[in-house]
Amino acid sequence: MSAVMKDDTRARPLVSLRNLNKHYGDFAAVDNIDLEIQDGEFLTFLGSSGSGKSTTLSMLAGFETPSSGEILVDGQSLVNVPPHKRDIGMVFQRYSLFPHLSVRDNIAFPLAIRKQGAAETARRVDAMLKLVRLEAFAHRRPAQLSGGQQQRVAIARALVYEPRILLMDEPLGALDKKLREDLQDELRQLHRRLGITIVYVTHDQEEAMRLSQRIAIFSHGRIVGLGSGYDLYQNPPNAFVASFLGNSNFLRFTADGNDAGRFEGQAVAVRPTPGLAAGQEALIMVRPEKALALTVEQATREPLPAGWNEVGATVTELLFLGESQTCHVATQGGTPLTVKALSAAGMPMQPGQPVRVRWAVADACIYTEWAKSDLSKGAGAH
Amino acid sequence: MKVAINALHTAQGAAAGSGVPGATTRRPPLRQRWRGSRNLLPALLFLGLFFFAPLIGLLLRGVLEPVPGMGNYAQLFANSAYARVLFNTFSVAGLVTLISVLLGFPLAWAITLVPKGWGRWLLNIVLLSMWTSLLARTYSWLVLLQASGVINKALMAIGVIDAPLEMVHNLTGVVIGMSYIMIPFIVLPLQATMQAIDPMVLQAGSICGASPWTNFVRVFLPLCRSGLFSGALMVFVMSLGYYVTPALLGGAQNMMLPEFIVQQVQSFLNWGLASAAAALLVAITLVLFYFYLKLQPESPVGNAR
Repeated sequence: MSAVMKDDTRARPLVSLRNLNKHYGDFAAVDNIDLEIQDGEFLTFLGSSGSGKSTTLSMLAGFETPSSGEILVDGQSLVNVPPHKRDIGMVFQRYSLFPHLSVRDNIAFPLAIRKQGAAETARRVDAMLKLVRLEAFAHRRPAQLSGGQQQRVAIARALVYEPRILLMDEPLGALDKKLREDLQDELRQLHRRLGITIVYVTHDQEEAMRLSQRIAIFSHGRIVGLGSGYDLYQNPPNAFVASFLGNSNFLRFTADGNDAGRFEGQAVAVRPTPGLAAGQEALIMVRPEKALALTVEQATREPLPAGWNEVGATVTELLFLGESQTCHVATQGGTPLTVKALSAAGMPMQPGQPVRVRWAVADACIYTEWAKSDLSKGAGAH
Repeated sequence: MKVAINALHTAQGAAAGSGVPGATTRRPPLRQRWRGSRNLLPALLFLGLFFFAPLIGLLLRGVLEPVPGMGNYAQLFANSAYARVLFNTFSVAGLVTLISVLLGFPLAWAITLVPKGWGRWLLNIVLLSMWTSLLARTYSWLVLLQASGVINKALMAIGVIDAPLEMVHNLTGVVIGMSYIMIPFIVLPLQATMQAIDPMVLQAGSICGASPWTNFVRVFLPLCRSGLFSGALMVFVMSLGYYVTPALLGGAQNMMLPEFIVQQVQSFLNWGLASAAAALLVAITLVLFYFYLKLQPESPVGNAR
């Protein structure tokens, strides 16, 4: 159980999805997914609606049958096992509590099905009520609870029979922001305490970052990025993930070799990239907070450090956002860029003023292949 | 009908809801509480004139004619022929309720489950059968069920039976005909209840470990209870007082209470006994309605939405 905490322990895969497909007519909702889920892991499926994340979860739960492919748990195929025999817990978006049963009976339901003794049932239900801090509400009906309380009942109901895997389908989507953050903290602690494997579905990237050890980013039925939130954000594997997660600046340049090129006629250095050949078009991706904007005076005062690039631009808009400030600029060639800095650092420019935008070569990712649609933000304006 | 009952129920609930806190905390002045009740006058006048007055007149006849006293009631319960009428009435109503529930439940479920367009068609067929003239439908059962009817001829032709079955002019015919007529009254409330059940709740049941059968018994059926209950009660109460179908499909020797009332009034001019029987029917209905109101507030789906 404690193995979960140590990242260096090589956990064995508990769930394997192999070449998993789900087609509705011609439409591929899930397109050939391969994924290993480690025992005790908190994995999040992140994607916009229609990306296939919920369909994949439904196939894990057994509500949808794969068109082809395998779902293995501990090496055993689950494809032909009906949901009620999978021993998986699930928390639904709209709680889906039994409206005719009290909180206590809702939580006891899975145990009643399993014909547990009365004493054992009472003991486990009490423990669950304590875990989700709803002892005082045990005799209420779901309709008499708030959304957050209902969701806690749903979590207790899903955990009471100690399933090995807990599936959560946007469980906090219907709650307001404050409550959502509280429950996120509770969930993280719960996972740490119980060591259960959790597969979580959300379209909220901040939630995914906050909760999970690994994130699988879904797009058009495929997993386009898989890794820790840190890795996916700092080193996105492709332009789609870069644009989907957080904000990003894309600079289209022509390579002169595998580590240099020209952006709108100005020489730029790039990370040595295998496969990048002279004359090839490629993309530089810089996170707004990794870029600096300097006025012309500042730029002359502070020489460009080694390993940095600089391009000229004009300020189009300056926004004050409390703890941070963003500065929207446009290069001579018309490429829009965003620079973000902490308010304390200060950006003393005015709209219309010329600025120099700088970034470290090491902080910029290079993509040689991309689709035009990858660069437009798919979901969540932040 | 369902709507009317629901409205009444809501009115009751609202009255109880506003009455209780008013009594415990701050009681608004009487005049203020009854403000606007004058708007009720036309309706009250109408009901009083055309419903309560004749009803009271009828009830009075039961205890006043032919001589004042409870003689009519004593006669109703003492005479074995009359007791038999009561027994027939209850057993037919019970049987009709049971059969229409057994047939209506799968039908309501099918209407809920099939794709929307098909469900609407099925529902339209149910409604259409309800809106067709009662006489026409009852006579067509006569055509089907009589000794020289389609069913008997077909069964004899394929050799299942040698002599025609007696399916009409007895209680069998009454039960068959009335079950058919009552099915819409169970399907409509039941279908509304089923429609309101969140299918995700059933998915939750199955992921919690409930097999399809357990899920049905422990989750689906309890959630259908309110619709099942109101539908069954409506069918039962309507069956108790149904006249046309028993009169046409039933026999002279096995009467139901409404036929008995008609016979007493029309053939024997015995208004006293007929009034007593009618009063009995009203009393039974009121008792059932009381239980309906008692049990209804527990309906989980009805309250949640």
